[in-house]
Amino acid sequence: MKTYAETLYDAYGQQFSVDKVYFENKTDHQHLIIFENAKFGRVMALDGIIQTTEADEFIYHEMLTHVPLMAHGNVKRVLIIGGGDGGMLREVCKHASVEHITQVEIDDQVVEMCKEFLPRHSAGAYDDPRVNIVIDDGANFVRECEDRFDVIISDSTDPIGPGDVLFTSDFYENCKKCLAEGGVLVTQNGVAYMQLDEVTTTAKRQQRYFADQSFYCAAVPTYIGGVMTFAWATDNLALRQLDKETIAQRFAAANIKTRYYNPAIHVASFALPQYILDALAG
Amino acid sequence: MNRISVETTDKAKFYQQMVRQHGSPLLILDCDQLVKQYNALTEALPGVELFYAIKALPHPAAIQTLDALGAGFDIATSGEIELLREQHASARHTIHTHPIKRDKDIRDALRFGCTTFVVDNVYELEKFVDFRHRVGLLVRVSFPNPNTPIDLSRKFGCREDEVSILIQKAQSLGLHVKGLSFHAGSQSPDSRNHVHAIERCTEIINQVYQNSGKLLSILDIGGGFPVEYTQSIMDISSFCEPINAVIKKLPDHIQVIAEPGRFLCAPAMTAVSKVMGKAKRGDACWYYLDDGVYGSYSGQLFDHALYPLTIFSDIKEIEQAVIAGPTCDSIDVIAEQINIPPLAIGDIVVGHQMGAYTSASSTHFNLFDKAKIVAINQPAVMAENVLRFEQK
Repeated sequence: MKTYAETLYDAYGQQFSVDKVYFENKTDHQHLIIFENAKFGRVMALDGIIQTTEADEFIYHEMLTHVPLMAHGNVKRVLIIGGGDGGMLREVCKHASVEHITQVEIDDQVVEMCKEFLPRHSAGAYDDPRVNIVIDDGANFVRECEDRFDVIISDSTDPIGPGDVLFTSDFYENCKKCLAEGGVLVTQNGVAYMQLDEVTTTAKRQQRYFADQSFYCAAVPTYIGGVMTFAWATDNLALRQLDKETIAQRFAAANIKTRYYNPAIHVASFALPQYILDALAG
Repeated sequence: MNRISVETTDKAKFYQQMVRQHGSPLLILDCDQLVKQYNALTEALPGVELFYAIKALPHPAAIQTLDALGAGFDIATSGEIELLREQHASARHTIHTHPIKRDKDIRDALRFGCTTFVVDNVYELEKFVDFRHRVGLLVRVSFPNPNTPIDLSRKFGCREDEVSILIQKAQSLGLHVKGLSFHAGSQSPDSRNHVHAIERCTEIINQVYQNSGKLLSILDIGGGFPVEYTQSIMDISSFCEPINAVIKKLPDHIQVIAEPGRFLCAPAMTAVSKVMGKAKRGDACWYYLDDGVYGSYSGQLFDHALYPLTIFSDIKEIEQAVIAGPTCDSIDVIAEQINIPPLAIGDIVVGHQMGAYTSASSTHFNLFDKAKIVAINQPAVMAENVLRFEQK
């Protein structure tokens, strides 16, 4: 029986049975694979780390999309950095109020490959007329961008590889510049129990540019080791404090169908475990 | 001095045929021999996990052959990682053993999936702080060996008394040290230094546990297992017997691993060169081969090895001779003050035991092409060769 073992940590890891390999690329100094697993459907892994699976991607994509969009309440323009699999785009496109979406992906082949081998992620979202796809380095894009967005979503890879530029102070500063007044930046920030440093480092870097910086959480089964954190950065202090009723009204008005996100989860996800609060307190 | 044997010309047929087919100079890699060496070492060191030091012969056929046998790999650079990636070798069975690394080297290894690294000083420990939740470290200890041609404890390795300091420092940085490693010296004539090093490491492991409760679980005994060049050497089971005896005294939970390079690949490769010119200079006849110490015979300079040579002749008379390489440099001499039957231009000279640190350290000096490596007796490539997974 073939198996795929994640190599994220030396002392701990998850393993998948591989029923069929759809795609594998070991060139360009990286290893990308998409395979079928009985429990999680199609699984994509890059450089030994699970990136996304068909079965549990909804948790990740819904939380990075609907939490900032519902909290903001009047989002017209969204910028997605990364997210080549199209899952984030699919969730953003569910919001009828959104007028424009720019997605910046570093490699157009990733988009094409995901359309072919992970079609359920984008589910046709790339054909939405509101979508503008830019092939560029995300860090470079925000540095030179003159446009303004209400929400920026950073859907990056692991900070060890080429995704490391999306975890720098410069990147956060440039994102701030690209946000309209009261806009929100949310970023994928790893599994805090396993990599607590990522939380404290991101907090330190984002606090320099935003009046309100914190995290919210969701457990994504294949991002192993506990809850995944998403960084939250905005100058509008009120957005993180909205009550369940306000969110519920907006959610009902948006008329969006979700599988993980709901108004109660929205409010609760900002509650952080004590070990994260202690780490943030230094 | 190189050992030189003279065979009758009918024994040269195989080599002549290979040269006709593939050209000269040539290196013939016999994968069967790799398998034999791997099996011999596995038998001689029961329970010890082997990680092939691919620096000795970084060739795809060697990687494929050893991977199929279940060997792990000892890597030291991003280039070696690329070779393993191309051969679909399992990253879970690799250890990164270079004690001095750049940030990019660490990232490249982590991206490949290697999470075990070797350190021997505080500066190196600090490089891992950003990756501390992902890695397991081995501390390399120095055990100098005056009896080996290549003492691998001079350039790298901390002193015994520094181990506990490094482990404490690692713990304060949030880093996990999971074991110790050492190199008893390459091409050791006997295993006394291995035995000494294992005994000392056993004591260090026990002391660390007693003093701090820190559990070390891996002992990497390096390489150094000898092969025959100019002198006959101990057979591998006799060499390993005393090592096994001291391994038995280690705490039960310790996994012993080793990093053989030379022992696995040296006997697996044979060099075939042609005489491209000859000249009578003084009393000696000089023969210029199309391969020399800037090429496959580079190990005679860098690795302190003198390879056994075979020439083929049916003539009884012998004369004083020098066998030299093709480059313009006068250091490029393979063997001198030897007495052999006269050779003709176009004759073949064969070098044995030439798998380890030969082509690996050869150069393009004078822009001579490097010898081509041809692999023979390669295990059948798996039908589904596109993919190799973690099947071990």
